[in-house]
Amino acid sequence: MGAYVLRRLGYGVGVMMGVLFLLFVMFFAVTDPDDIARKALGEKVPPAVIEQWKTNHGYDRPLWPWQDLDDNLLFDHYRRMLTFDFGLSDADDSPIIERIREGMGPSLSLTVPLLVLGLLVSIPLSLLVAFFRETYIDRMGVFLCVLAMSVSTLLYIIGAQFLIGKMLRWFPISGFDSDLMLLPRFLALPLLVGIVSGIGSDVRFYRTAFIEESSRDFVRTARAKGASEVRIMTRHVLRNALIPILTQVVLAIPFLFTGSLLLESFFGIPGLGGVMVDAIQSNDFSTLRTMVFIGSLLFVIGQIATDLSYGLVDPRVRFK
Amino acid sequence: MRGGARPRTVRQGVRRPAAFGVRRFGVLQLADRPRRPGMPWVVLLASLLVFLLAACGNDPYPATDAKAKVLYGSFVDAPKSLDPATAYSAREHAITGAIYDTLLEYHFLKRPLELIPGLAVALPEVTELGDGRSRYRFELRPDLLFHDDPCFELSAPGSRTREITSSDFAFALARIADPKVGSPVIEPFSHIEDFQAFGQRLAARRKSDAAFAALPIHEQYRLVGPITGVGTSSPGILEITLARPYPQIKYWFAMEFSAPIPWEAIAWYDGLEGRPRFDDHPVGSGPFQLTRYDKRAIFVLEKSANWYGVRHPEWRAPGAVYPSEGEERDRAAGRLAHAGRPLPMIDRIEMRREREDIPRFNKFMQGYYDSSGIAAENFDSVIQNGRLSPEMKARGVALDKEVSPTIFFLAFNMNDPVVGKGADSAAQDRNRKLRQAMSLTIDSVEFLRIFSNGRGVPAQSPIPPNIYGYDPSYRNPYRQPDLARARALLVEAGYANGIDPATGESLRLTFDSYNTTTAGLIQHQFYTNTWKKLGLDVRIEAVSYNQFQDKLRNGAHQVFEFGWGADYPDPENFLFLFWSEMRNSTTGGPNYANFSDARFDDLFLAMKVMENGPERMDRIREMLAILEHERPWIELMVREDYLLHHGWLANVKPSGLSIPTYQYVDIDVERRAALRLEWNEPIVWPLYLVVLGFVLVVIPGIRTYLKERQ
Repeated sequence: MGAYVLRRLGYGVGVMMGVLFLLFVMFFAVTDPDDIARKALGEKVPPAVIEQWKTNHGYDRPLWPWQDLDDNLLFDHYRRMLTFDFGLSDADDSPIIERIREGMGPSLSLTVPLLVLGLLVSIPLSLLVAFFRETYIDRMGVFLCVLAMSVSTLLYIIGAQFLIGKMLRWFPISGFDSDLMLLPRFLALPLLVGIVSGIGSDVRFYRTAFIEESSRDFVRTARAKGASEVRIMTRHVLRNALIPILTQVVLAIPFLFTGSLLLESFFGIPGLGGVMVDAIQSNDFSTLRTMVFIGSLLFVIGQIATDLSYGLVDPRVRFK
Repeated sequence: MRGGARPRTVRQGVRRPAAFGVRRFGVLQLADRPRRPGMPWVVLLASLLVFLLAACGNDPYPATDAKAKVLYGSFVDAPKSLDPATAYSAREHAITGAIYDTLLEYHFLKRPLELIPGLAVALPEVTELGDGRSRYRFELRPDLLFHDDPCFELSAPGSRTREITSSDFAFALARIADPKVGSPVIEPFSHIEDFQAFGQRLAARRKSDAAFAALPIHEQYRLVGPITGVGTSSPGILEITLARPYPQIKYWFAMEFSAPIPWEAIAWYDGLEGRPRFDDHPVGSGPFQLTRYDKRAIFVLEKSANWYGVRHPEWRAPGAVYPSEGEERDRAAGRLAHAGRPLPMIDRIEMRREREDIPRFNKFMQGYYDSSGIAAENFDSVIQNGRLSPEMKARGVALDKEVSPTIFFLAFNMNDPVVGKGADSAAQDRNRKLRQAMSLTIDSVEFLRIFSNGRGVPAQSPIPPNIYGYDPSYRNPYRQPDLARARALLVEAGYANGIDPATGESLRLTFDSYNTTTAGLIQHQFYTNTWKKLGLDVRIEAVSYNQFQDKLRNGAHQVFEFGWGADYPDPENFLFLFWSEMRNSTTGGPNYANFSDARFDDLFLAMKVMENGPERMDRIREMLAILEHERPWIELMVREDYLLHHGWLANVKPSGLSIPTYQYVDIDVERRAALRLEWNEPIVWPLYLVVLGFVLVVIPGIRTYLKERQ
């Protein structure tokens, strides 16, 4: 077990080193710091200001170690990223770590309930359609799932804003307020959209897992022993189908931190998805490379956590 | 054993018999459910109920604000910096303009824009000192205070504010000169005596003396300064000495760059030990104070009790009372009804970030935003035949149109051998005729109709409306679409039917742009397809912004598109885009066309230092004639802003420049509250449709379930 964990961690470290090198090549070697500065400062600035900006941001140094072993951008890039000292935003000079900290709250306030409520809705629904397999409920369920998967998230958003926000007027069309009394009002609609837009793929995925498990011998045995169908589905089938569910859930956890680009953008939620969109739109390369790094790091951690969690939910799994 | 007869343990450990005596596999056993929900489910359901109760209602604001004098608006892009020395975009000025008061400001209603005194008692006295030097003397109003802020503890323990003196203006100017601040407006202020030298002294001292570099900024300025062209002999007098003529300097004293800055704010808000940076925590002296700032979500400005207009309404200062004079259309629009009222008329401004047009416009239609632009998707439903639609009129919505001094143009790289100036007189004549022909084919009216819902004014010269030198009757002969004349010019240039005699094929040119979007591509195709009618083969090269910049710097561009917005209402701010000293290829300046003409330069330098009048107008006409003939630009359009606002919002008049005028607006809060209620009655029939659809899907499901149960 210990050796397995160490090996997985070693792979993870290797992947992250590679990601950092690729980031450096993309953001420094391909893009000229002069261009970054000009984009950040605007068209009307004189060259002297650009030079000063580059100095302030440390972009006036040589790129590679063979140009200056002690003071080069490559080593500095590795040092900063690995110590979580992300520096200043290219767009507005604000500390990137602060932007991430500020954006994480709104993102988590949306994505965590979205994950939990999504599971609470889609797992029972999947159990239902799996239970009634080969009947109208199953066929209609699958049809609705495929239909739901085929519709663009953007349409869900605009449709919900029109129907629920504009016509029924149940919730505000968009906005965000960290005040706990106002927060539910702003989260209700994006949560609803997030759950409905994800339900199709989730239910289909879980249904397949449940149907596969319900044809196993232990299910027949449970039935032979007189266990009720509800008990069979919720205790035996659900528990044994946990591995694929867990894989999906654990892999989704890192993305809770990075937020939802579309939902945050259309509902005006100032989360990390918005930080990413802002960074792309404003050519804020320092924030972009930080977000890519964090996304990769969380993904690698998620992968390792998924592998390790198999042993927790299924005692048959042994690590070698 | 029959399953149903077997007792089982339910979640709570209660052993109970099943309700149905006989069971079949595949049948849902209702009796298997626990009779009472477990505690976690109760908690979950209760939480959901509380959540839904708290969530109900589409009003995004607290109920307590329903009748408060709050102006609600939105913004799209997060501001970059609120430091007045560096903030240079409209989105930043929308905030800094309300926070920082300036020595001079613009009259709210008069057009062309007219300067009036702000923090200064009067417009500056100008004294000519000889050798091109001049002195501007500003007398400050007495008893001016900064906004309340904890940073003033640095100068006087227990103090929350202090009086503004001329030294605070000098400090602000020193910051602009400081290379470390990175102000984008060093160049115009460099006309001040010793301004640039101060920056150089500062940089040199920092480089050579580490102890000096570690000192607080105001100490560094004190040791290296003062800037000799900035006189602060008395706390109430600011004297600016220009080393060379630059009458436009007065406009820069109406912009936030020159607003007074307290040294305490720079020293305190350094971003260390949990303190915000000065960029994000402005300390000004204007009519509003920033009280909440989440740059990616919301900013809130509240009326400042320290503003001179609030503290001294008896002064009836021009910038602190609603004007009694304006244009004729202001009287017709009711914008003179508040004449003489003390400012500001509202208590708070709340701006929320809305990235997307559709939700923003829908919230405007629900009454939750007081004003809005018009998204392209909504344009046809809002504007019909250039006027507001009947639906909008019935809602009491008003439309304000304002031509913005922002010009969009196509330009030629005058260093290019094919479309540029040309090496000899034959080449000059040939290339000029090619440019003239290309200019004659682009139809701005058609462009505006297709791409901007008709919003905008076809441009005839580089000077847009509301700027001195603009002549509404002027018709540029090369900007009236005339395909026959263009073809004739091409024949004269040696490109009959667009054929390049050197290759025997269509003359190939490149059109460079940094707009790589689909919408951009369609616009580019509008130009190239038009030139195709002349037989020219113009290839689009849309590249990233950085690559485009490279092309400009390296002179690797031929034809390109660009835009320019006014910093201040003076023709110099547009005509300097053709001045040789501003050529991008030689100085990195904004003359991206690299236009150079000795006569134009002479005229420009003479015009630059003149006051508006017939003599200046003559110079401008002569310059425009040179541009008309040489055609370094194809003037395309001048932007026209359409602003919608609800009837309860009074005194809305865009200036065209990025100057917020929040202090002038007034809100009828009773009317707003009543209309919001009226407009937000739920429309429930769609719900019935949804329920019907649900029932239609579920009924067969229930039948299936019952059948399976049997």
